[in-house]
Amino acid sequence: MTTIESFEFPDDLYYTNDHVWVKADGKTLTIGLSQFGQDIAGDILFVEAPREGREISKDEAFMSMESGKWVGRIKAPVSGKILESNTELEWESDLVNSDPYGTGWLTKIEASDLSDLDSLLRADSPEFASLIAEEKIKYKK
Amino acid sequence: MKLFHLRHVDWVESQLIYHAQPRVNVEGINILAPSSPYVCIGYHQNLEQEVDLDYCKNNNIPVFRREVGGGAVFLDGNQIFYQIVIHKDHQLASGDKTAFYQRMLQPVADTYQELGIPANYRPVNDVITLEGRKIAGTGAAEIGDYIILVGNLIADFDYKTMVRVLRVPDEKYRDKVFKSMTENLTTIKREIGHIPTWDEMAEPLIRHFEQILGPLEPAELPQKVYNQMEILKPEFESDTWLFMKRRAGDERKVKVATDVNIIQRAHKAPGGLMRAVYELKENKISNLSFSGDFYCYPRKAITDLESRLDGADLPDIGALIANFYKNTDFEIPGIAPADWVKVLNG
Repeated sequence: MTTIESFEFPDDLYYTNDHVWVKADGKTLTIGLSQFGQDIAGDILFVEAPREGREISKDEAFMSMESGKWVGRIKAPVSGKILESNTELEWESDLVNSDPYGTGWLTKIEASDLSDLDSLLRADSPEFASLIAEEKIKYKK
Repeated sequence: MKLFHLRHVDWVESQLIYHAQPRVNVEGINILAPSSPYVCIGYHQNLEQEVDLDYCKNNNIPVFRREVGGGAVFLDGNQIFYQIVIHKDHQLASGDKTAFYQRMLQPVADTYQELGIPANYRPVNDVITLEGRKIAGTGAAEIGDYIILVGNLIADFDYKTMVRVLRVPDEKYRDKVFKSMTENLTTIKREIGHIPTWDEMAEPLIRHFEQILGPLEPAELPQKVYNQMEILKPEFESDTWLFMKRRAGDERKVKVATDVNIIQRAHKAPGGLMRAVYELKENKISNLSFSGDFYCYPRKAITDLESRLDGADLPDIGALIANFYKNTDFEIPGIAPADWVKVLNG
């Protein structure tokens, strides 16, 4: 586990610049919002779960969340197909806040090309530390 | 930043403009109002759950689903709208949501002050009077690489039609929503006794926004925005978009102000279907009523329980209900204290 300031980032995950985490299990990728990501999002009231089977492209805004009447978008970290969405979040969206790396997961994706992961960041990399430092300033965290 | 001071425009255009701008990279602030009334639902809402579509159809009130958050609202020309479209990398977009809202809602509060209404920003996204009544609507969205902030000054408000267009289980519920809304939402007219002219409201609003956004340059809306609106219009008017199922729901909640909700919940207990409707303000229950198809003898026990829970803090209801069961003589087969907790609080 890498800790930057008070935020924790598991070392076995990949991270996007938009604070989405990705856990790889072969071609099946589970994604969620990092602890830092959920913190800047605020109390999440709704999560729109994408339907199973939907094809998505890397960097496409493919799902949404709402907090404080603010609709935020989640961009796909990789291209692929939606295998499953965490429908529990339709009833308990606050799991994203309370357990971002566990029960607050968002979707599972079957990656069409695992090399998409190469562009993502690792928690223990200097680039990731720089990103969080910059984001902390931007979001005044 | 460009200022698009459009005044009254066609109702659907008043929505399509700010949906089109981020798609064709046009930053700016729009000041406008719809020329006719309509109902607007939030991005994550289910239209059929929220709006009485038959009433709207019979009264020629169109419906729109926006990409911005929040709930169903009745909008008309007595509300003056601002719509800010800025790139996510703009320095004014820095900070978290609360910081962004606070920065952007201060001009709205300042405008009310200038109109003679002491009003202040209240986190996360409200502008309220000194008495704590809401006097502005606000919502935001990320569309492409842009952040959209929309909100209004409420010169006057048609409470009756607002409450009528909502889909509610019964008239009792509608009455509760109306009462709560009139108590917790106010308008310029209610506060100062008259409706100022458009310019008396728009001029200070623009001037106060200029203090935050920098110099605002009056401009015509670019043709490419109108072209994009033509592309978006059939999509936003399609049944696929309007009736899209966004979330599940067995709970009905109408937010009438920050920390004030009218809640209606249903729970299927072994002894029958239970329904509860109540107002929740700062986590305190009031105006509670139970109904359902369960057996109860004597029926007075239900009103006694309602009275016992009136004014209770939500976390305390379990103990109060258990105490009621212990000390009151009644029969409600198939319904345990936990079922009452369930129908009230899930």
